[in-house]
Amino acid sequence: MRIARQNWWTAGFLAPSVGLIGVFVLIPIVLTVWLSLHRWSTATPFGDAEWVGLRNFDALFSSELVGRDFRQALRNTFVYAGLSIALLIPLSILFGVIVHRAAVRGTTFLRTVLFATYCVPMIAVAIVWSKLYSPTEGPINQALGWFGISPQPWLSDTGTALISLVFLNVWQQLGYFTVLVVAGLTQIPPSVYEAAALDGARNVKLLFKITLPLLRRTLLFCVVIALINAIQVFEPVATITQGGPVGATNVLTYHIRQVGIERSQGGLASAMAVTLLLALMVVVTLVFALMRKGDDR
Amino acid sequence: MKRTSRYVALLLLAVCALVVAACGSSDDDKGATTASGGGSGDKVKISFLTHWAPETVRSFERITAAYEARHPDVDVEIRAVPFADLLTTLRSQAGGDNGPTMASIYDLWLPELVRDGVLSRAPEANAAEVQREWPANLAGAASVDGATYGYPNEVDLYALNYNKALFREAGISAPPRTWDELIADAKKLTKKDGDRITQQGFGLISSWAAGTVHPFTSLLYSNGGELIADGRAALDSPQAGETFDLVDQLANKEKVSSAQMSTADANTTGPYLENFVSGKTAMIIMANWWESALRAGMRDRFSDVGTAPIPVGPSGDAPHSVSYSWLTVVNGKADEAEQAAAWEFLAYLNSPESGEAGHSGMAGLLQSMGILPSRTSDLEAYRGDLDREFLKAYVEELPNAKPFPIVLGGQEFTESLQRNLEALQAGQMSAGDAQERSQADAESVLESAAG
Repeated sequence: MRIARQNWWTAGFLAPSVGLIGVFVLIPIVLTVWLSLHRWSTATPFGDAEWVGLRNFDALFSSELVGRDFRQALRNTFVYAGLSIALLIPLSILFGVIVHRAAVRGTTFLRTVLFATYCVPMIAVAIVWSKLYSPTEGPINQALGWFGISPQPWLSDTGTALISLVFLNVWQQLGYFTVLVVAGLTQIPPSVYEAAALDGARNVKLLFKITLPLLRRTLLFCVVIALINAIQVFEPVATITQGGPVGATNVLTYHIRQVGIERSQGGLASAMAVTLLLALMVVVTLVFALMRKGDDR
Repeated sequence: MKRTSRYVALLLLAVCALVVAACGSSDDDKGATTASGGGSGDKVKISFLTHWAPETVRSFERITAAYEARHPDVDVEIRAVPFADLLTTLRSQAGGDNGPTMASIYDLWLPELVRDGVLSRAPEANAAEVQREWPANLAGAASVDGATYGYPNEVDLYALNYNKALFREAGISAPPRTWDELIADAKKLTKKDGDRITQQGFGLISSWAAGTVHPFTSLLYSNGGELIADGRAALDSPQAGETFDLVDQLANKEKVSSAQMSTADANTTGPYLENFVSGKTAMIIMANWWESALRAGMRDRFSDVGTAPIPVGPSGDAPHSVSYSWLTVVNGKADEAEQAAAWEFLAYLNSPESGEAGHSGMAGLLQSMGILPSRTSDLEAYRGDLDREFLKAYVEELPNAKPFPIVLGGQEFTESLQRNLEALQAGQMSAGDAQERSQADAESVLESAAG
């Protein structure tokens, strides 16, 4: 009897949060999956959706325009995410270690500068960087000119446009990941370093044998968050490049918006969103599996 | 105790149900609320979605204020978004409680918006006015299957803009009239530092669908070709092949055009504009509406800007610019009171009543941006202004201009062609491959849109 009463209370207190998660997370996901199996214009009611089975997914992997554009956007998204992580994680470790070591002068200033970039809205960052990257009038090319380096095309060239957006992302996000790394570093007991120092370990060895292994879980969290953030990139593409040149910066979030809203092909866009979700689940699972494998060793 | 706990749990569940119900309120609820609001003597609130720049919006606010003074029961709100967000904003907000009541749209978008039921059909009086007061081709561009869906407001076409100072410096006395002259002049006007172009003879715009495709289409039309003929893609014609070859020559073979110097951003500004304004682009094919941007950027040097007809290709007979129009439409999902107020406001905005010296308020706004108005009485009222040097060549070419094809899937068709042209400009594809792929993509898009 007491257990039954407890169950009612438990259900009652869980209901608001579970209900909200259901309404705002689960139902949209289920709806997106359902729509991905239909031909549906986003400007019409759901009732007008026409069942097409897996035809939308078939189109995404076909050799036709729809498939080519989708695969390029998927590839761009993962290249963007991979490059962002490859730059963000080492740099945040570097800055985290510097900031954490109070003995180094200027850490307060560095910390302030790093955190400040994270406070700036991405849309403002995108607008400012689009001016910095301007091929002829941009300050970056002018600064390169002082060192005899010829102006770079940055956002105007298919070979450099995506990496230019990665730099912008890294600049903005670095402060956040440095905070996470600093938080992780504070969890490592000083006694571990002292013991290692007694055994003769010095700077680089301490970093690779003590700091990084003990930061493993923090870094795993950083990788997963950086991955999710990078896959959600939208503002710089929409503001500066509109996916160009030649689709070089066309990432999936922007492409899904273009297909789903601008072209009103809601079913196709839903199929893209579902495919992205599945791809993301696979990647995150792989990251966790790799980390777990490391833990087992 | 048992009963109390059940009541508490049920109460919490009821709260959840209310949250869900509130989030899922239906269109019927919306209609009832708005209608009662309108019926109780409150103001009818209508909104106008546009992509105009802040200075134009400020001028527009003066017109809406004058209208509100005459109609105290109506409140007109102006919402401005960047051009790149205009269609997405319209599509994503049209069905919502707070969606725009009126919107300025590109005629290419009309068939799909009508198909999806987003737009309101013009009431009989408004439709009759459009058919009576506008040239037949523009009234036709605002109609689908014989039904009128909006007021045409602007008409745009393309011409060759060139920098007269750079022409003088290069010893060229007149703008090119043929493609051969275009290439020869562009070579003389191009300056390089090693392999890097520091001054481009001809600018090929990229990262903007219309900015890339419309100049190409103008060259294609001026070479006797078509984009779509008899409902099917016509990019496999010899004339189209010659046009793809021309782009290849300008971008890759003669290297008189720099991809880096001609990109656009979401506001349809960016390096292509900056480089023309700063005298680093000698020639470019652009629409009449960019006059205000050129004036603002070049100030005293604006007098250096020359305008000439589109150079004619080897298979063409005369310059034929592509033309397109814009129209103002009403949200078909707004409630009846709002729709009625919106149509009444649009009639005022597009009539001489809202403007000065015989032109409409809309025409005044368009002219402030260098855009050609379309109402017959507005063209008459502005006859003197349309003779100014920059616009004259555009106005003279208007009778020879050919409209961009308005078909279902038109936007996707434009974007697919843009992608292939950009690949050609970037040297990622040969002219032949770009033509072949453009034709295949166009066929696929048109077939899919029709199906």
